[in-house]
Amino acid sequence: MTQPRPNPPQNALRLHHELTRIWGRPKGWRGILVSVNHSEIGFRFMLTSFAFFSVAGVLSMLIRAQLATHDGAFLDTDLYNQIFTMHGSIMMFLFAIPMLEGLAMYLLPKMLGARDLAFPRLSALGWWCYLFGGSIILLALLGGVAPDGGWFMYTPLSSKAYSPGINADVWLLGITFVEISALAAAIEITVTILRMRAPGMRLTQMPLFAWYMLGTAAMMLVGFPPLILGSILLEIERAFGWPFFDVARGGDPLLWQHLFWLFGHPEVYIIFLPAAGAISTILPVMCRTTIMGYGAIVAAVLGLVFLSFGLWVHHMFTVGIPHMALAFFSAASALVAVPTAVQIFAWIGTMWKGRPQMRLPMLYLMGFFSTFVMGGLTGVMLAIVPFNWQVHDTAFVTAHLHYVLIGGFVFPMMAGIAYWMPLFTGRRAIRGMGEAAFWLVLIGFHGTFFIMHLTGLLGMPRRIDLYPDNPEWVLPNLVSSIFGFVMAAGFALFALGLILQTRYGPRTGRDPWGAGTLEWALPKPSTVYNIASLPIEGARDALSLARGEGALPGAPRHQRETLVVNMISGRPEHVAVLPGNAMLPITTAATIGVFVLLMLFGLYTLAPLGLIAIAAICWRWQGFTGTRQGHAQVTVAPGLQLPLSWHVPDGLARTGMVCTLIADGTLFACYLFAVGFLTVIAPNWPAPASTVAQGSALLAAGTVGLLALASGCARLAQGRGAGLAAGANIAAVLLLALLALRLDDPTAHARDALRGAGLGYVVLHAVVGAMLAWLCVVQRRDGRIAADRPGAAPVWRLWQDYSLASAAILAALVILQEAA
Amino acid sequence: MSWPLRALLGPLWWAFAFAAIYALHGLGCALGWTALPAPVWDLHRFVLLSGWLLSLAIGLLIVRAMPDDKSTAGVIARAGAWIGLVSVLLTLFPVLNLSSCEVTAPAENLFAMLPP
Repeated sequence: MTQPRPNPPQNALRLHHELTRIWGRPKGWRGILVSVNHSEIGFRFMLTSFAFFSVAGVLSMLIRAQLATHDGAFLDTDLYNQIFTMHGSIMMFLFAIPMLEGLAMYLLPKMLGARDLAFPRLSALGWWCYLFGGSIILLALLGGVAPDGGWFMYTPLSSKAYSPGINADVWLLGITFVEISALAAAIEITVTILRMRAPGMRLTQMPLFAWYMLGTAAMMLVGFPPLILGSILLEIERAFGWPFFDVARGGDPLLWQHLFWLFGHPEVYIIFLPAAGAISTILPVMCRTTIMGYGAIVAAVLGLVFLSFGLWVHHMFTVGIPHMALAFFSAASALVAVPTAVQIFAWIGTMWKGRPQMRLPMLYLMGFFSTFVMGGLTGVMLAIVPFNWQVHDTAFVTAHLHYVLIGGFVFPMMAGIAYWMPLFTGRRAIRGMGEAAFWLVLIGFHGTFFIMHLTGLLGMPRRIDLYPDNPEWVLPNLVSSIFGFVMAAGFALFALGLILQTRYGPRTGRDPWGAGTLEWALPKPSTVYNIASLPIEGARDALSLARGEGALPGAPRHQRETLVVNMISGRPEHVAVLPGNAMLPITTAATIGVFVLLMLFGLYTLAPLGLIAIAAICWRWQGFTGTRQGHAQVTVAPGLQLPLSWHVPDGLARTGMVCTLIADGTLFACYLFAVGFLTVIAPNWPAPASTVAQGSALLAAGTVGLLALASGCARLAQGRGAGLAAGANIAAVLLLALLALRLDDPTAHARDALRGAGLGYVVLHAVVGAMLAWLCVVQRRDGRIAADRPGAAPVWRLWQDYSLASAAILAALVILQEAA
Repeated sequence: MSWPLRALLGPLWWAFAFAAIYALHGLGCALGWTALPAPVWDLHRFVLLSGWLLSLAIGLLIVRAMPDDKSTAGVIARAGAWIGLVSVLLTLFPVLNLSSCEVTAPAENLFAMLPP
């Protein structure tokens, strides 16, 4: 390949105005509603998560006030249950995950040398879903109907029999609504890192933060589906009585625990890895050196990503699991300390070889080291089965959890905020405020939670609101409560410092920390387009990029363009045309919100209308895609001409669909696990004799045959078979409807409930398959699919193949069950 | 084989082996394999040990198949292969001598230990 040469220099101010016009948004409320820019959306994620953090922090103060004395009359039991459940749920789902998403969304394009994320409207949709879902959960608290079964919603406590109100539904529906944003962010981040790096940046040359975020996003793709499946199954059980978790009818509450912790334990690493990415970015700068052991750290991330999925059962050591299985998970839990330790030693080595400066971000990093290592060590203690049995469900576990999460996420995030605030605002911190906040938080934290280990060892269980018969727990609880308020004061001071910095902090130059990394080469505060031209060999410094000497200078075609590269080598492949501002993300999120509310208030007969509305509004998203005419290749730089994304089959959308199907496939695998688990482990199996008739086999075979026909049609060039495939998908839906009528009563036994759920899964895929096929029909008609324009066909084909495979597996499963 | 796949091969193999042996363990307990004879020991332990040894052998093959590449990419790929092998060795070694299907459910004992 000919190496691209730098473009001739242009007037930087003219380029700035040209790019701002294309990448900017209208002023005022309309601009806020339609914006899809990654900096703005990322910042909103961080700001909103900080607001939720404040709410959850206030709730924790209420908990500490209640526990300060043995017979606290501050809260009654019902309210206390709601408050500790909301504290955990908000911190996990509405603070930690969105915070890391926001940071990644804001930073990654700047670090990788791109102008935006791969799917800007998807990030906006994610934020609106997060805002609406989080608001539903908060409003439930104000209405006194917040979730009250613990942040892990164990069944049978959260089943209809023991939680008859809507409290559990708020959690199941609200959190699932919010998780749309998590999955959207995971797809967004994965595709951006893999396909939108600066030209020539190989995977092994990426900043470590990108490696950490790639690992995090991959974990989110695989980690969230088990929880989403569990939430859907539990909500179906609560709404329609299908017994997935009801022992009497072939279900098992342990299935919920498996699905929850299949998500819940990787979640800890999903939270930790971005924080570790921030540490690996900030620490070398603070130590005026380079990171030690780049390859070792990447390998450690790789190890963590995989091993963290082999630990989930250590949350279930006391439920009655065979010794050998306990030992598998105990060993894996201890082993995961090794890649974590590799990183810790690499960071210590970096400090050793550098010249550390105790500036504000470094102070918070020291807080991380002193706290997280202790949390890690108690983690190893908890990995050992006999010790785990002794402290299970006591305050010791609460202390460990907070050491890991505040040590491993909050301190690094505070370091990150202190470090990147000049990038966000163009201003430096107010001297002394961040330092004072640090000491308050550090002293307050250890005063609160170190002593909580001892409270736990004294036998105090978690989640109790009164302990009138245990005077020995009074003093440690009182100490924890006092220091808890000290910590809260520290967080408040930190927030105040940020607000004052935004308004009154001294102006900063381009690179206040002397970092030398790409994000600091941009103007401060950053522009809406990030970078006037993209870095290439010979044009990497801030000035030459601002003058348009890099690739793809300005916006000469009056559209939002950025480069797409080869996943591994970083070789430029084509120019992506990204969508502009739109109301679609907020209207789509609002429509999903209406469906969630219909389900929440038990209006199940109206809920299908909500689904139809969602399908209708999703259809409108295709309006932007594709082009109706051929376009010549674009000169990206002298010696480098590339096609526009409309003319290549392997575009961002296809990579995005692969990521979507990985998440979808994980959900399906979890469904198969649920079938296997209940069949093998649950009491009250085998199920009663099935009355599924012979004709059902024909219907199932017919469905698979129709999906195979659609899959075959998707292979024809230029979407020629799309019309037939759309018909085949619709016919498959009709056959499935007939099949549904012949299934056994799904409320009778878990086997039949699982069959019903599986059938629903295939219906959903056939409907989406029909919509994608019809989109190809439309695109063929209006010219968006032609000889040189693949349109939606590559994406449709992937979906159709997946639908066929999952339907065939389900059919085989039912045949096996019937044969057995 | 592309570089990312090479780097992922070891951990992917561990994930497969771990899931498969855990599933075989559950299946064997449910189907009463501990009471069935096998060429060595009972059928349950025989199947699990065979699975573990096979997993180790394949993990070792993956390590041996990695090219001797000194670049960062090569180091990461080799580290990935070793992560897979060591993880198979350490997370599944309990198949060697622990009792297979016996259960201790200590939760009720824990609550019994709490002060009245």
